[in-house]
Amino acid sequence: MKNGFIFFLGLFLALLLAWAGIVLGAHAQLSHLAPYFDENEGKAFPERMAGIAVQGQLVYQDLGCAACHTQQVRRPDFGGDKARGWGDRQSVARDYISQPYVQLGESRIGPDLANFGARPRAVDPDRLTKYLFEQHGGMPAYPFLFETRRIVGERSDQALNVPTAAGYEVVPTHRAVALVAYLQSLNNVYEYPEAKPVAPAAEKKEGEHK
Amino acid sequence: MINAPSAATTAEVTEIDASARFPLLLLVGSALVWLVLSGALALVNLVQLHTPSFAAVCSVMTYGRVAAMQESAFIYGWAANAGLAVALWVLARLGGSSLRSLNWVLFGTAFWNLALLGGVVGIACGDALAHGWLHLPRYVLPLMLVAYGAIGVAGVLAWTGRRHEMTFAAQWYAVAALFLFPWLFSAAQVILVFVPERGVLQAVIAGWYVQGAWTLWLAPLALAAAYYVVPKVGGRTIASYDFASLGFWTLLFVGAWTGGRHFIGGPVPAWVVTVAGVSCALLLFHYMIVGLNLRGAFSGGGSVVLKFIGFGVVAYVLGGFLDAITAFRGIAVVTQFTFFTEAQHQLAVTGAFSMIMFGAIYFMVPRLTGQAWPSSGLVRAHYFTSLLGTIGLVVSLAIAGWIQGHDLNQASVSFEAIAAHVKVWLLLATAAQALLLLGNLLLLAHLLRAVVSNLASSTPANFRPGSTMEASAS
Repeated sequence: MKNGFIFFLGLFLALLLAWAGIVLGAHAQLSHLAPYFDENEGKAFPERMAGIAVQGQLVYQDLGCAACHTQQVRRPDFGGDKARGWGDRQSVARDYISQPYVQLGESRIGPDLANFGARPRAVDPDRLTKYLFEQHGGMPAYPFLFETRRIVGERSDQALNVPTAAGYEVVPTHRAVALVAYLQSLNNVYEYPEAKPVAPAAEKKEGEHK
Repeated sequence: MINAPSAATTAEVTEIDASARFPLLLLVGSALVWLVLSGALALVNLVQLHTPSFAAVCSVMTYGRVAAMQESAFIYGWAANAGLAVALWVLARLGGSSLRSLNWVLFGTAFWNLALLGGVVGIACGDALAHGWLHLPRYVLPLMLVAYGAIGVAGVLAWTGRRHEMTFAAQWYAVAALFLFPWLFSAAQVILVFVPERGVLQAVIAGWYVQGAWTLWLAPLALAAAYYVVPKVGGRTIASYDFASLGFWTLLFVGAWTGGRHFIGGPVPAWVVTVAGVSCALLLFHYMIVGLNLRGAFSGGGSVVLKFIGFGVVAYVLGGFLDAITAFRGIAVVTQFTFFTEAQHQLAVTGAFSMIMFGAIYFMVPRLTGQAWPSSGLVRAHYFTSLLGTIGLVVSLAIAGWIQGHDLNQASVSFEAIAAHVKVWLLLATAAQALLLLGNLLLLAHLLRAVVSNLASSTPANFRPGSTMEASAS
């Protein structure tokens, strides 16, 4: 290694190859992914995120929710994701194209949230908001997403149904409302052509059409 | 019985060391402050795992934010500062001339740490990004890049201005780390933060960045230290040195490709995962060569420097094999998304990187200050707390992760039940982390004591004849 120039060239090449291979390679494959238009339903999937849901994704990011929750479902025969009701199909790249701040997550201290919006717990926004206010098992309460304030005039219709001092109410802040909207928007159940679970051949019945 | 770190070595303090004393000690000192801070945050995080309500009343102490602060403080605070200090010193010594542009090093160190401090405070206030190893807010990233460049200049000058045409493995690793990180860091900033790619490409790029930052930056920094210190302390040349360059180029060309192993079964192109698995197996070649080259660390007699480095080398090689094993789908189906991954991370950054750096710091600092470490008892205490803490942390997290992984795959086991199953192991990990924190506090206190006693005696020491300096260093 006497030739300094060749040495530096080698270093640079090492970095460049990995960058070209992984970053450019994946870019070439995925950057043209477009929403899939379903003629039967008359709309394209994935649907665009509502503005408040995008704000909620930022709350999700700044609180570091991804430290405990993944947003990627593994295919049915790989792990217990389907059995836990996290999704009937594996997540595919197209699920994420409308998300500005993708957070796949690397740790499942809590459940996967890729399809959280489709679950019973998420259907009622009031219940979900209250869920964030209280501690549940391993998930701590997030009291700082709420404001306890004196009731002036009428009680707010957003006020949580929780015990407070007389004359006071607990209302979610805008951050809490946005986070709830985001969590409700997590719903990737639409089956893209590339996302259909590959059924084992033996299960196909005679004469069945695909 | 462990001898004091400098007692086993011959006294050798040169002009190279003396001139770089202040900048390098500043880097080491900053590194240790960050290490203690990140240890305290890691402790909070581990307590929160089994007592979720702990300290979680305000948004600053939310688990996710503490985790992001801890990781940033560890990687960009401890690892970067310590690694840069050792790399610059190795380059200066092997280059045979004093470091130049030391003012730039001081300037860069100050701004790197100020920017990092701003970034950690920014995470606490809610400006964190959500990419692995890139949680720091966007507004500090460009400044950190510039500051890193200012520090790195000294390394490049030491390389280009070296006295000998012949170079050594320690130099290759040090130069590679110094030179490649800015490219990696700036590329990641542009395509992840400032002009972000879309969809899962973000995750793929973050995976590439994290793996690159490990295999092209932190691991080479640690290896530079090990390849320099092991033959110095052992008094023998590196075993099977002919293979060293193969090991080096294997790491550089193959290492960064292994990042995709975290996406097994994930929504990314399948080839990303497959290539990562193959690369993990190829990289074993590198780990075997490193083990072969640095086996001198295991016959160091009583040298505590070599004990630290020997432990680090074992952790490094073991980590490489674990990466390759968990890249198999059959294993990953259990270990993915669990504490097992965290155990592997800790094995690499704490077990391999930190331990090798501790060894290098114990070797380097007496040569910078011109005095032996004040207390061999403190060194011993730090060694044993690090040893027990690292083993305890990695083993308990690995067991917790294995249990967690099996439980997760059985839908009938609730998350409350999983938490109950792993609780005892998480408690053990917490104790181990507390031990690590204690040990690192000892090292910080020890360094301060060494510097203070150096200051007390050094006003005239700068003018003492060289021979006196050397005698006091033994």
